[in-house]
Amino acid sequence: MWTRARGRVTADPGLAVAVAAVGALLVLFVLYPAARVLSYPRLADYLAVPANLRWLQAARNSLMMMVLSTLTATGVGFLYAFATSRRDLPLRRFFQALSVLPLFAPPFMVAFSYILMFGRVGLVTKALLGLDVNIYGWQGLWLVQTVAFFPFATLVIGAVLEQISPTLEYAARNLGATESAVMRTVLVPLARPGVAAAMLVVAISVLADFGNAVVIAGGFPLLATEAWFRIEGLADLNGAAVVVALLIVPTIGLFLLERLWVGRRVYTALTGKGTRIEQPPMPPAIRWTLFGCCALISAFVALVYVGVLLGSITSVWGYNWTPTLAHWRLGIAQGGAQLLTSVKIGALSALLTSAVAVLAAFITSRQDLPLGKAIDFLAVLPGALPGVFIGVGYLLAFNGPPLILVGTPWILILALTFWHIPLGYQAARAQLKQIDRSIEEAAQNLGAPGLRVLWDIYLPLLRPAFTASFITAFIRAVTNVSIVVFLVTPRNLVATYSILAMIGGGFWGAAAALTTALLAITLLGVGVARLVLRAGLRPIGSV
Amino acid sequence: MMRRLAIGVLMVVLLLAGLGSGATAQQRKVVVYSALDSEVTTRVVAAFTQRTGIATEVLTLAAAGTLATRITAERARPQADIFMGGSIDFHAPLARDGLLLAYRSPAANDPAIGREFVDPNGFWHGWYIGALSIFWNQERLSGRAPATWDDLIDPRFRGQFVMPSPVTTGGGFIFVAAQIFRLGEERAWQWLKQLSQNAQQFTPTAPAGIALVSRGEAVVGMNWGHDVQAQARNQGFPVGLVFPPDTATEIGGVSIIRGGPNAELAKEFVDFLMTKVPQDINAQFGLRYAVRSDSPKPMGMPDRSTMRFVKYDRQWAIENQARIRQRWQAEIGR
Repeated sequence: MWTRARGRVTADPGLAVAVAAVGALLVLFVLYPAARVLSYPRLADYLAVPANLRWLQAARNSLMMMVLSTLTATGVGFLYAFATSRRDLPLRRFFQALSVLPLFAPPFMVAFSYILMFGRVGLVTKALLGLDVNIYGWQGLWLVQTVAFFPFATLVIGAVLEQISPTLEYAARNLGATESAVMRTVLVPLARPGVAAAMLVVAISVLADFGNAVVIAGGFPLLATEAWFRIEGLADLNGAAVVVALLIVPTIGLFLLERLWVGRRVYTALTGKGTRIEQPPMPPAIRWTLFGCCALISAFVALVYVGVLLGSITSVWGYNWTPTLAHWRLGIAQGGAQLLTSVKIGALSALLTSAVAVLAAFITSRQDLPLGKAIDFLAVLPGALPGVFIGVGYLLAFNGPPLILVGTPWILILALTFWHIPLGYQAARAQLKQIDRSIEEAAQNLGAPGLRVLWDIYLPLLRPAFTASFITAFIRAVTNVSIVVFLVTPRNLVATYSILAMIGGGFWGAAAALTTALLAITLLGVGVARLVLRAGLRPIGSV
Repeated sequence: MMRRLAIGVLMVVLLLAGLGSGATAQQRKVVVYSALDSEVTTRVVAAFTQRTGIATEVLTLAAAGTLATRITAERARPQADIFMGGSIDFHAPLARDGLLLAYRSPAANDPAIGREFVDPNGFWHGWYIGALSIFWNQERLSGRAPATWDDLIDPRFRGQFVMPSPVTTGGGFIFVAAQIFRLGEERAWQWLKQLSQNAQQFTPTAPAGIALVSRGEAVVGMNWGHDVQAQARNQGFPVGLVFPPDTATEIGGVSIIRGGPNAELAKEFVDFLMTKVPQDINAQFGLRYAVRSDSPKPMGMPDRSTMRFVKYDRQWAIENQARIRQRWQAEIGR
């Protein structure tokens, strides 16, 4: 019956329009700015790279951190997602909520807080344990990146694990499988698309991460930060463009790896025949081991917030522990109004991100549509590009014809929107893989056109992915710094911009206070988003 | 279905309503990109508006390189009129690339302002000075405080010295060039190698080094004196500060962006910055020395006349910048 698939696009104008629209958007807002940056330096600038020892060092270091942090972050993320997917885990809801927390922090705050906690004058290391620890360097960065990025892995893997039907587990047990055999032969293979997607998302986030590195890597050069230093220290747009071009090479490698690993194998766990069976309970030993792991991971997450909170009310960290509200007064006076702008811009861009990401995932999961591969590549690509690259790219691309956006809030909104597409896209792709085609076939046999299939069948099933995508994109947009510094306009200042200015000026207490306020408002925004999305999407299935 | 759609549309409309609501009213105003801290910036532009009646729109980012990059990227359609603050080392390349408007402010002819502070071609005007200093954490330092550049290579500071990287920062580069002017090129490299044995970190940005010493992560550092005073001492950290003999300076500039929306009003802004009021504000709140000889010295800082400067050849330094940075990477290697 798939022989008639080719003809379906032409037979279904709605779907054809969707393919064209998504394709055009991705070309204009992903490919075009990227091409502008890459074509900006002269050929001689590229040829001079092997002579630059610092850049070669940075390339080696970036690859090393990518391997280390991706392994630990995905490992921790899988463990955490698996543990919290078990209904009988003690404090499950609490752990689930806490695992999302690191996503709320601007990435440099994780590093900042860990210096306050574990540095030479750290609350934990010096005040409590009396140790003399140097947290600066790759070890500190490894710890910080693991804590900062494991929630991405948890979100992606968790959405997949949620969909695995307990009947499969029961079936395995009835056939005599042990706990470890169930894990090995049922859960891990079914979670594999999720794990692969998570590793890809984490790896490219680590490669592009400069917020943590800027604060904690010290004299350890990395590609993403090097691009930033070229611009911040030397106003060298050429050099920055060259460095970020080096970053794109490993990313394409990652992309191909993920395709090969997940491949074309069938991972169907969700079929049209509904199941509502409870998961089998875990043996106590396993349950409490998982509980212990979750508690430990949560403690590391909680410390980030304790550090920021205490930093905002301590007179002079490490020297004068007297509580004070002075940092809060300064922070709110300077950045209060910008908090609201942050939320508006973040919400709008996250909405656009999720819509485009889910539509793109739907298109590329239909193996029979033309342009699917190209759209797939463009939807993953932005995650490989550092924020400074996107920021500079948008400035270069949309400062003249055909589309002039510089000076308007739209340039920032669109940059954030398309930078975050891979997050939503990967989650939606992983989930679509698990949906059995028989559901779609049934709808088609009843005469539903392609977009109707998306709207009525897939959208309700994709709700967890859509929600996760919106929330992640919203938080990252609100906490973004690397794009914001290039595209913010005087009329639309956002809070992270002020925080960065305060850190630059040495007002770390005020920066901590404003960050705490930003976190509170972000949490509120996420709560509202969850309510609206649930209420907005639930009736779809019952139309 | 309709209700769902209506809710969605309403949400988007509400979001948009708050954005860009400051639709550009036609009024006399100057758009300023400021690389100074927000307190000084706010006070300076307020004084400008009070004096001239011209409104301002300000983007403050205490990172001159980022602003210069932004100005470069906006080349096709400049968004700002004024680039205020940051070393002239950032303004000069913009002038070279044809991004700045030449202008000779009559206010700069004031006898209180030295000739060396104005670009002969008129692309930038210097209006403040920063000087390099040695600073240390008083609680972690044992023994005599360092007072000269040569004290920095004392073995007791092994692994405890931080300074901005000369490869990624302007301040670090000026420091290295100052050593070359002080010792001669070959002796300077020997000296820098000894110094690098004491180094814990060459920080990629300048402020990072101040935070390290303030928090006791390192014992002694080299950085801009006014930034140390503002970010460490005035924040209550136990930090000592000295301007050693043979120190070097940066000249903080202001320039007009070519093709900006309000070029004529921008000239009035440059005129204003050469007067006493803004330079006094910068000295009082930014602790930076004014170029005007009749402005008071920054509070808590030594008189400029007591400081001893190395004979610094800016032209030579800029011409040899790429070569020196290359040699640093090859010989010091970090």
